[in-house]
Amino acid sequence: MAAALRPAILRHLRIPAQAQSLTVDPSAPILSSFMNRIRSMSSHGDEHLTHEEVVDRVIDVVKSYPKVDPSKVTPQVHFQKDLGLDSLDTVEIVMALEEEFKLEIPDKEADKIDSCPLAIEYISNHPMAA
Amino acid sequence: MAFTMRAVKVPPNSASLEEARHRVFDFFRTACRSLPSVMEIYNLDDVVTISQLRSTISAQIRQNAHITNPKVIDMLLLKGEEELSNITEHAKQRHHIIGQYVVEQSGPHDKGSTKDPSTSEFLKNFYTSNYF
Repeated sequence: MAAALRPAILRHLRIPAQAQSLTVDPSAPILSSFMNRIRSMSSHGDEHLTHEEVVDRVIDVVKSYPKVDPSKVTPQVHFQKDLGLDSLDTVEIVMALEEEFKLEIPDKEADKIDSCPLAIEYISNHPMAA
Repeated sequence: MAFTMRAVKVPPNSASLEEARHRVFDFFRTACRSLPSVMEIYNLDDVVTISQLRSTISAQIRQNAHITNPKVIDMLLLKGEEELSNITEHAKQRHHIIGQYVVEQSGPHDKGSTKDPSTSEFLKNFYTSNYF
């Protein structure tokens, strides 16, 4: 009886479709940010990271990198231009971020991340960030 | 066992410096991703952190950063991949990892320092080069 009841209930459920304001953001994966705003059936609970938390953790990871001067690190900093790191250091910081947020960033996306704002944006948009 | 991960890699044959550079970064990422399992295999939690190991790996890669010949880079990558597969499939032991990647190595003349910490300036110069 419960098995028959469930589809009947599901047929009548209406999920509110939110009007998405598509801000033009060439570097963000638009499709994934569209799909992960609505997660009503998710079993993850309320584990979404707030933006401030993401910013704080990213800044901590960058500051604890040994070659970086912690006083220069801001949420807008560019790894190679402002902090004087080279490309290998950039890859290493991205790997440290992968470890911190328990993500696995594909190579094509990882190559694009070379500054703090890009990293913060990518992680905020990633549905699996923890 | 962990042989599978390494067996599928095609031997590197870079056409250009840019492609070799790309392969280096891919190798570095693969090495970093295998670090948690390495820490667990060799019980390195008390000795070193993952970020220190990452820095050690990047320092070793950076030692060869001045090379411009793609074929030489390919050869170095082959050696690096072999080393990584040895480590991940537990073919090494804890003291190997600690001696090679955790303890600070500082120059060729230090290999003699454990036997004979000589204070001779002549010997130090002699160990570094023929001409002084």
